[in-house]
Amino acid sequence: MKRHCWEIALIAAIALLATLGLGEAFGAAAPTPSFSLAWSEYPSWSTFGVAHEIKLINGKKGALGPIEKKWGVDIELKEAEYDPCLVMYGSGKCDAACITNMDALNPSLTRPSVAILPNSTSFGADALIVTKDITDIKQLRGKKVYGLAKTVSEYCFVRNLELLGENEKDYVFTNMDPAAAALAMQQKQSGFDAIIVWNPFVLETLNRRKDVRVLFDSTSIPGEIIDMVVVAQASLDQPGGKAFALAVIDTYYAINQRLADPKTADETLIALGEKFSHLDLQSMRKVVKQTRFYSTPEEGLKILTSPSTQEIMKKVSAFCVSHEIVPKAPTIGFGDKTAAPNAAFRLDPTYIEEYLKQEKSK
Amino acid sequence: MIRKPIPARWSLALGVLSVLLLLAAYTGLSLWQHHRNPDDTTIPTWSQLGAGVKQIIEPNARDGQRWLVADGKATLIRLFLGLLCGIAGGIVLGLLMGCYPVIEALLVPPLSLLAKEPPTAMLAVFFVLVGTDTEMYVAMIAFGILPTLSQTVYLGVREVPAELLDKASTLGASQLEIIWSIIARAIFPKIIDVVRLSIGPAMVYLIAAEMLVGDVGFGYRIRLHSRLLNMNVVYPYLAVLAAFGFALDYALRLLQRYCCPWYVSGEK
Repeated sequence: MKRHCWEIALIAAIALLATLGLGEAFGAAAPTPSFSLAWSEYPSWSTFGVAHEIKLINGKKGALGPIEKKWGVDIELKEAEYDPCLVMYGSGKCDAACITNMDALNPSLTRPSVAILPNSTSFGADALIVTKDITDIKQLRGKKVYGLAKTVSEYCFVRNLELLGENEKDYVFTNMDPAAAALAMQQKQSGFDAIIVWNPFVLETLNRRKDVRVLFDSTSIPGEIIDMVVVAQASLDQPGGKAFALAVIDTYYAINQRLADPKTADETLIALGEKFSHLDLQSMRKVVKQTRFYSTPEEGLKILTSPSTQEIMKKVSAFCVSHEIVPKAPTIGFGDKTAAPNAAFRLDPTYIEEYLKQEKSK
Repeated sequence: MIRKPIPARWSLALGVLSVLLLLAAYTGLSLWQHHRNPDDTTIPTWSQLGAGVKQIIEPNARDGQRWLVADGKATLIRLFLGLLCGIAGGIVLGLLMGCYPVIEALLVPPLSLLAKEPPTAMLAVFFVLVGTDTEMYVAMIAFGILPTLSQTVYLGVREVPAELLDKASTLGASQLEIIWSIIARAIFPKIIDVVRLSIGPAMVYLIAAEMLVGDVGFGYRIRLHSRLLNMNVVYPYLAVLAAFGFALDYALRLLQRYCCPWYVSGEK
């Protein structure tokens, strides 16, 4: 009797393996290429989550929404916190990720990457919030300024110091998670006189504590912090890679059209903000001003092709090297693969151009 | 044959072999990954790891600090203060609950509830209540390990044979003398056991908190360098954590064997 048990188990195991193998074979027979996009909750990136919710695309692997059918490609959405998105992308666990121009540099050193779509730029979404008694940046010398180290927060802080003619060495940037720093300031904990955080923490802190104000923010460095979709060059080179890029671009502008249309604007805005924070519609309107969307293909193209973006990328890259965010500066290229074949990180307008061409030809 | 003993030499050799296999598997994995992508930093080769180790033990060019020293100091102070408060509080509460039914009735319900609350889930509560300085780490660790620890001590006290207590009372021992000379001694090895088991969770809580609010410490460094994909810094830190936890555990076991041979030999 005991013997039989073993035999049955063995046969069952073989049968299971066989079905799995066959399943794989059948899976390969249906050739819709699948690519994954890692994203985290942020106004311009939540567009992909919302696109899944309103069924423009289907973020599950193997299931297609209308936009995916149109381009003949499967988009798999992987939602995670921002940090895990960076790790996932850097270690090759996803084909594309929603990250900032600054954070794209490090992974591109080991995984050549292409920025195909600029989503938005921080225009006030990163801000230094101080207590009322601090009216001049010089008062912060030697005081702790809390923010997440080696991120856009520190970049925004250092760049603003530069613009004000201050020396970074006189200031003490202290690492803390933005949520925790905002909480500490809202609680009036002692020592928390200055925090530099991003939204929703900027607006939440300003809403909850009336005796604090913004000393400076990212409006002084417009277009320097760019939220974008970055795709691995290797994934773009695969069959269907280009279609994936075009489908992502299509999805983003489809949601932007809904934001522009007065009939669907408010509900889309609420949907974007739902998981981002509990800010109301009024505050969300402010949020999308401070995270200024590049809402049309034309605007996106302007960013990817403008000479000022090249200058900005140089500046950002130099910052990353001097602050040990990257071990060495990646070569940054502009244009398509033939224009910059050796670039580790390339800002490529041709995907949006192709999307425009195909839309117009209809 | 089930449970057939093997020679001691064999078990040592097999233990060494399994560790070697693990290292070999890692080497293979990293070679394969570098074959696919020569610039990879996510599964570093041994030479990349060597560079990472150098980076953490040599003074940093920017701030002149040795990372491992600075982080180790910060994390150790937080961990030991937290363990100290948690263990001391847990022992006192456990003893009181085991000795006095009034306190038992009072404290057992809330402590059994709190024992099931993961402190990592209430990080924000700690930030709100105790701020974000050293007190917060200490409070979090202490609060995290105290309920389970006190419950274990309490159960240990209840297991002390009643005859021993009666005998001591008959011989005229005071309450304090009974607690110190009989109960405390009887449960001491159990306390070491539960302290050993508490170190793991304490480190979990500490690292989680450091990842969010630390500006120095193991959790801070690991989060920062995970984000920067410097896995050759992250893995050595993980190895140090494992080695540290193992060493602490081993030291406690030695202490237990040294102080309470009657307890340990009874185990085998």
